Order: sequence, then C-alpha cells, then structure tokens
Amino acid sequence: MAKLSCAGRLKLLLFLATTGLVALLVTAPNGGGTAGSSALDKAMERELARQARAAFVRELYAPVTELRDAGRPQQALLKLEELARAYPGDPFGLVLRAEILRELGRLDQAIGHYAQALRLNGEFLDEQGPFSRRTEIRLLVEEGLATLLPRFQSHPDNRSLAATVKEVYYLQSRLAGGCE
Amino acid sequence: MNLRDRHLWLVIFAGLALGSLGALLAVWGNPENSGICVSCFLENSAGALGLHDNERMRYLRPELIGFVLGALGSSLLFREFRSRGGSDPLPRFFGGIFLMVGCAIFIGCPIKLFLRLGAGDLTALSGFAGLFVGVWGGLRTMVDQVRLAPARPRRGSGLLVPAFFLLLLVFLLSGPGFLLESSGGSATAHAPRSVALGVGLLLGGLAQRSRLCVTGALRDALLLGRRSPLLYGLLAFALSAVLVNLFGGVFRLGFYGQPGAHTDQLWSFFGMALVGWLSVLIGGCPFRQLIKAGEGDADAGLVVMGMFVGGAVAQSWGLTATAAGVPLYGKVAVLSGFIFVFAWSLFSREDKTC
Repeated sequence: MAKLSCAGRLKLLLFLATTGLVALLVTAPNGGGTAGSSALDKAMERELARQARAAFVRELYAPVTELRDAGRPQQALLKLEELARAYPGDPFGLVLRAEILRELGRLDQAIGHYAQALRLNGEFLDEQGPFSRRTEIRLLVEEGLATLLPRFQSHPDNRSLAATVKEVYYLQSRLAGGCE
Repeated sequence: MNLRDRHLWLVIFAGLALGSLGALLAVWGNPENSGICVSCFLENSAGALGLHDNERMRYLRPELIGFVLGALGSSLLFREFRSRGGSDPLPRFFGGIFLMVGCAIFIGCPIKLFLRLGAGDLTALSGFAGLFVGVWGGLRTMVDQVRLAPARPRRGSGLLVPAFFLLLLVFLLSGPGFLLESSGGSATAHAPRSVALGVGLLLGGLAQRSRLCVTGALRDALLLGRRSPLLYGLLAFALSAVLVNLFGGVFRLGFYGQPGAHTDQLWSFFGMALVGWLSVLIGGCPFRQLIKAGEGDADAGLVVMGMFVGGAVAQSWGLTATAAGVPLYGKVAVLSGFIFVFAWSLFSREDKTC
C-alpha cells in the first residue's frame, strides 16, 4: 500500500470526518435525540411561562376589574395604588390606570401612563397578544392629536402640554411600527 | 460620468434593485421603513440563535443569509473569490461591535437610513448629516497616514464565514428546536421566507458585482465628485425607494410619529457619524462587510462576527434606542466607540512624526 503524503492524510481525515457527520445527521432519530427534545422542552417552557404570567396578571388585578365593572373607578385607582406598592413598575397596572383615567376624562394622564407602560413592555401593541391594547391606544392617539395639538400650537410655551404632546408622538411612532 | 461605462450601469441597476426591493420588502411583511436593515436583521438573527434575551427580537432573517451566499455564488461564478485576511483582525472585530452600537443608536444601518428618508422620515436627516461627517472624518484620518495592516492571501480562512452562513441556511430550512422565534414584536413582521431569501440572494450577487456600498459612495463622492459611479448607484437607490413608497402609499413626510424612529437628533448624528467613520477605516458599510465576507475576505468576516456580538450586546445591555429616545448607556457606548476609533487610528499611523 502506497504511503500517504502529509496532505493526503489530512484530506483523508477531512473526508472521513465529513462522511461521519453526514452519516450521523442522516441516521439521527427525528428531533435529534435527547438534545433535540431538550430544545423542544425549552419552547414548551417558554409557552408555559407566558400563559402562567397571563393567568397571574388576570388574577392579581381581578379586584381592580371588579371595582371598574361595578362603576367605582376611584376605588379601583386606590386598589391599583395598593398593588403598585407590592409590584412597583408593573406595566399592566399602568395600562389599567391609564384606562381608568381615560374613563374619568384625564386624557393627558392616560396618555402618560400608556406611554410609560409601552416603554416597559411592547406587548400591548401586538395585534394578537393576550394583553393587546392596540385599538385603545390608536383611538387615544387620534383624540390626543385632535384635541391637544391645536391647544399646544396656540400655547407653545406650556411645558406640561408640550410633554403630553411628546408622549402622543411617542405612542403614534410605536403604532406606526418599524423596528423596536 | 461615462455613459458607455458598463460598470456605471451595473451600479445604477444594483442601486435601483436595492431601493425598490428594500421598500417592497416592507410592503411584503418586513417592519415599516425597514425592508432592509443589516443591523436590525443581525440583532434579530443573534436573538434567534439565543445570543440575547430580548424576546421580541428573535427571527433568523433570510435576507442576511441571501446577501452572503449571493455574494459567494457571484464571486465563484465570475472567479472573483479570493480567500484573504490578516489585516488588524481583533480591532476589526471590535469595530464590528461598535458599528452595531452606532446603528442601534440611530435605529438602523446606512441602508435603512436611506429607506427611512425615502419614506419621508425627516428624523433621518440628522443621521445622514452624521454619516456624511463620519465618512469625511474617516477620510481625513486616512490622509493623516492612518493605514491598517495589509491583507494577505490566506487559503481557507475566507471560507469560514460563508460556511457559517450555509449552516444558518440549514437552520432556516430545517428549523431546529434551539432556534428561537418571537411571538410578538417587530421580529414577527417579516416577508415570506422564500421571497426574503430570493431577494437576499439577488441583491448579494448584484452588490458583489457592482461593489455597491452606501459609505463607499459618500467616500467616492468626496474624493471623485461626479465621476464616482457609486454616487449614481446611491442616487438610484434613494430615488427608487422614494418612488416605490410614493406609489405604495406609505410615503409620509414629517418628523413625528414615524415608525422605528426617535427625535434625539444629536444622538442620531453621533450614531451615524461613528458608523461612517468606522466604515471608511474598515472599507465599507455593514452591508458591504457582508458582501466582502461572502467573497472570501476573512477580515470582513471578522467584522460580521463582531456585528453579531454587537447586536447581542446592544440588546442584552439595553443600549438600543427606541421611539422613546436614546438610553444613557447607549450614549456612553457611542462615545466609547469614538474613543476606540480615535485610539485605533492613533496606533495605526504610518508616519508617527506627523
């Protein structure tokens, strides 16, 4: 048998390794064995965590929803305040607050809370998500542009109004889409 | 401008294809004003590979794979594939990271800058000014004797990045369990995979043949003026994007309420200035780096790997700008990028006396 040169040996090893890799992939069980199933487990874990979070949020804020449905928005706000002490900065609490404030006619504060919630979690803009508030935010932006913008144009030195208009533009930009 | 020059027409055709297909990809499902955005796509793809924790930015973008493999195919077909490398590899890797930082602050790469402008987004004007100043600054440093180490032929190393993208193509087609995909957010906005891959392959091939590059066009315009073919390619790109957006009914002129944009003009300027400066030093914008990596340039391949890491870091560390503005650590990262560029330039001067 002829002796292989150094390069020839390397080429042979390269060929053997490539053939082995192809053979392994071709003969591997569907899903890639245990490593593959652990990857699938991760996907299931993520879905479970998402659903568990949705259920937890609904349960947590159930008293607030009940008070709103009972026509007691002030008490619902107080309950939200109480929950915010236990779970500060929770974006869903901010969205509920924004909705109640809007019902109470506080457009500027509702806009501020929606913007704050969206900065923390963009989920509220997803069309299909369990917490989607896309329609509500779109209507709020339309109302904000129709009512606040003319006021701001006639009082450009009003700082609080300027800040609210900036938040309206932020919400409008997020609604327009694009990369996050 | 020599109208009989075939290369000129090739560049113009590539520019038209990039602009029109870039705008059309947004119509076909990609995020608004972001039909093609190399930096956004890299962030999405890094997320899909599990390199960052932003659940809303995970999708293996077929366009990226198409750019590299299209360039590989074209360079092999026209016998232009040259495996080469060894020019300041590690600084280039870090340069790739900071390219992504600059793009993340502006929200988009130089291609997206023109797509945003083409859709009427006037907030991108400050980014354009920054890119122009950055390219000019990069050219000035070149005049000041800053030279990177020369690349040498290196058998095999130029194949590594195309091989990596071939592996990504296998992942895209087979969908292994470890590949992540967002269930909400901008990563869920995407054109059909086959269309995106096809467009990527076509543009990759065209860009390889024409050498189209956004920062290269600005650089050549500064050096050659109206004699630069790339300048006409860039104009064709911008014009076709405007026309497609106008006819598609998505052109909306204004500063406010634009998709994927913010009004921190100063930081948009700095972000793109960093991208422009770095691009001149390393020989091309992020898109051009992908194309060069496809034609065997291992140095550009290292920039691409750096961009992957940069995309992951920008997302994981919260450096990226959003419609709400630029976060503090994003600003810190941009300034760190400038420190890196200036220090690299300082150490790379040929004539140390000047």
